Amino acid sequence: MSSSTREEVLRHIDTVGLMQPALHKQTHAPSPTQIDHTLYRAYTRTPHDVGGEPDVPIVWHEKEEEIWELNTFATCECLAWRGVWTAEERRRKQNVDVGQTQYLGLPYYGRWLMTAARILVDKQYVTLTELVNKIDELKQRAKSGQSLGEYSPAKTK
Amino acid sequence: MSNKPVYDRTHHAKMATGIGDPQCFKGKAGNAKFKEGDRVRIKDLPDLFYTRTMTYTRGAVGTIVRLVYESPAAEDEAFGNEDHPEWFYSIVFSQKELWPEYSDSFGNDTLETEIPERYLESA
Repeated sequence: MSSSTREEVLRHIDTVGLMQPALHKQTHAPSPTQIDHTLYRAYTRTPHDVGGEPDVPIVWHEKEEEIWELNTFATCECLAWRGVWTAEERRRKQNVDVGQTQYLGLPYYGRWLMTAARILVDKQYVTLTELVNKIDELKQRAKSGQSLGEYSPAKTK
Repeated sequence: MSNKPVYDRTHHAKMATGIGDPQCFKGKAGNAKFKEGDRVRIKDLPDLFYTRTMTYTRGAVGTIVRLVYESPAAEDEAFGNEDHPEWFYSIVFSQKELWPEYSDSFGNDTLETEIPERYLESA
């Protein structure tokens, strides 16, 4: 019977609600006996599965999308059209593989952008060395006041 | 020249181009194990690395209202495995079945969601 499953599931949802990343408290590799099944499941759950988790209300902010966010979205869609990833691979990377701290801590499109870079490295379209060198080159260019050559759409009236 | 393995990174795109996804998996899941109206319980499979079957549905009983499409389950597709499409079912749960503290004033509320066949057992 599944009443024990329901008990476990509801206990799990209560437990993950306590697992907001806490910067003020360091954790050190615990001994295996300190991690019972409830804690193990809470730690290894997929962080996007937040349904039912107790939490404080989120303040609603009306925010216009920024150019870099739209460019990020378009880049990710192009990666899908060209067969680099499926939507499900993208969601796994941007919502789960990042881990709970980044999932809750980074802006939404920040995770999209990180993930676009990550898939290109993971599938060997670029090497991490090339990516790091490119980021460094652009940082230097920005520091010297030069344009980064980023795309901005023409102004409409 | 490099001896690195070369993956066919575009195999999914080739499958779906001009057809769409999940349409490209139509007819590939075999016979559906369940039908509209069946009462099913959601299995509590390990939720490790990736899933889209919300934990709060697990162990709960709902009613199949529609067979929606055939597709690889999220657990496969999220890692580029498209060889085993399966049936997806739209399932309606009573909110009171999902949340013990759900108010009796809204006792008729329901929640509908799509779940792949591997998670279902007859209830």
